[in-house]
Amino acid sequence: MLNLFQAEWIKIIGNRWASGFLIWIFPVGAFGFIVIFGLILALSPVARENARGDDTGPDANTLQWTKQALDVWDFPVGVMGRLILLGLTSVVFGGEYQWQTWKNIVPRNKRIPLILTKYCMLALVIVLAFALMSFIMAAGYGLLARIVGVSYGPALKGSVIVDFAGDYIQKALLALVAIIISTAYAALGTMITHSIIGGVLVGMLLTYAEALSALGMAVIAHFLDQPVILNLYRLTPGYNLQNVNEWLSHGQPDSANLFDMLEVSDSLEFSAMALAGWVIGLIALSAYYFHRQDIT
Amino acid sequence: MSETVAIRVESLSKTFGRRKKRRVEAVKRITLEVHTGQVYGFLGPNGAGKTTTIRMLLNLIHPTEGCAYIYGQNVQRNHSVLRRVGAIVEGAAFYNFLSGRRNLEVLARTANNYDPKRITALLEQVGLAGRAEHRVKGYSTGMKQRLGLAAALLSSPDLLILDEPTNGLDPSGMHEIRQFIRELADEHGKTVFLSSHLLSEVEQVCDRVAIINLGEIVREGAVTDLLEGKTQLRVEVSPADKAAQVLQEHWSLSTTMTLPAIPSPPIPSPTTAAVKQPGNSNARWLTVNASHDDAPHIVRHLVNHDIDVFQITSQRQSLEEYFLSVVREETERAAG
Repeated sequence: MLNLFQAEWIKIIGNRWASGFLIWIFPVGAFGFIVIFGLILALSPVARENARGDDTGPDANTLQWTKQALDVWDFPVGVMGRLILLGLTSVVFGGEYQWQTWKNIVPRNKRIPLILTKYCMLALVIVLAFALMSFIMAAGYGLLARIVGVSYGPALKGSVIVDFAGDYIQKALLALVAIIISTAYAALGTMITHSIIGGVLVGMLLTYAEALSALGMAVIAHFLDQPVILNLYRLTPGYNLQNVNEWLSHGQPDSANLFDMLEVSDSLEFSAMALAGWVIGLIALSAYYFHRQDIT
Repeated sequence: MSETVAIRVESLSKTFGRRKKRRVEAVKRITLEVHTGQVYGFLGPNGAGKTTTIRMLLNLIHPTEGCAYIYGQNVQRNHSVLRRVGAIVEGAAFYNFLSGRRNLEVLARTANNYDPKRITALLEQVGLAGRAEHRVKGYSTGMKQRLGLAAALLSSPDLLILDEPTNGLDPSGMHEIRQFIRELADEHGKTVFLSSHLLSEVEQVCDRVAIINLGEIVREGAVTDLLEGKTQLRVEVSPADKAAQVLQEHWSLSTTMTLPAIPSPPIPSPTTAAVKQPGNSNARWLTVNASHDDAPHIVRHLVNHDIDVFQITSQRQSLEEYFLSVVREETERAAG
């Protein structure tokens, strides 16, 4: 099994253009941002002054390394982040169809482990990239705070580190769920269309359809005079990702009144169960589809 | 089933498309057996069902009906038996962004048998050691084909399934591969299932062949058995059109051999030197599917019809000629 993981790792990392532009750009971009911002602050007293007094800048009152490190994980959970990650996931799954390399791979190992390995390695690479980005942002803002001359907290104490580690793992896990859902959309898209672009397009379609599903359901509910139909929105991955994120960030549900028709406010457990169902269901569906598929 | 049978295919069928109008029966209930140590040729025109059959053997395509067995194991139920198989399917395809060595590493690791020394040895064996670290993107078709052969040999397979293995190779490369295939069977006891368009290549290398046309096996047997008694007579005549008409009343003509591009053998005696030479618009070579004993009858028949005969020679039918005549015959039969 380790060999299978290594083979997938070589393929993902070896495709330098795809991995460089579609995933490593996040930590590299964060590093570039810190360097440029740092240079500006170091060279310009006016910029330092503005940063010190500006609420949006690295201000001592709002600047905390814990927040910088955790905020990074919000990106893959949001619709935009999920859309951007579709690129890499489509290359990893769709590339095998486009380059006609499945015919070399499939006779060498069983199909289900091949697909599951792809999920695992993609998730690992993306989580690794965001973990690196999170470290760069946390450490980089510390550097910026030092240049500006403001404090950067909280102090590294045992209780702070334990609390942070708990929050960090929860946020990273939620991001991982979002990544797997995006990956599954792209995987199904590439399996149906046999192309990278097809994977991106189907993935985008599903992501947008999911985001806009509340509107569609509201229209149907309105015409049928059945507001209960809107309850289906509570099962969508997008809603549950936001709800869990809200619980983890603020300790409360993502409450909303959907089109003045239905009040939604779900528990953390409900959303966690719904997301688990989506993750298991989508992985099982893509694995089953691939298992039955003819590699032509 | 014993280990003496490397491949056994039983009533294997594949139909593509679910809707009635789009349904294509690519392979129709084919049955064949390949014994261990044999080099088995699998011939057929484009779209005959060769690659679909090969893909079913490798569990890339699920059969609609029937089963494929490798060393007695159903490939669909016992995927692990494919570890004993090395294959090139429809030309070699690789990750262009990786080097040749890295590509082999990926394939070896996927099969859980990574051995860097074996990869180095194979790269040397196929003549790619000098380019092993270069990206496949820069490889020629021939180099990719060599890398494909190395990939097929990665796990020291007992059975090699090669679909057009000499595509893109220069004549010396083709010769090397032919020798290599024969060596694998004769010296190492490997079984080779070879699909190729180059029929002269198949004739030189294979012990047995199967000809597939429109999804059905139309001939199968040892190359020597199939070609036994398949002699042809080449007749230089004038006027050729009239001669063709006259001969067709009793014998079949191989139209492929009537091309004027066929070189003329030297004229042996001064007595025939005065007659019309090929190149003359009326004199042409005809190829008649007939035995050596028919030669006097053919000459007499032609002369009786006032046709000049310059030369007549007998020759053994090549696999290519045999293949073309079989495919033509079967296609006409299928067309009703």
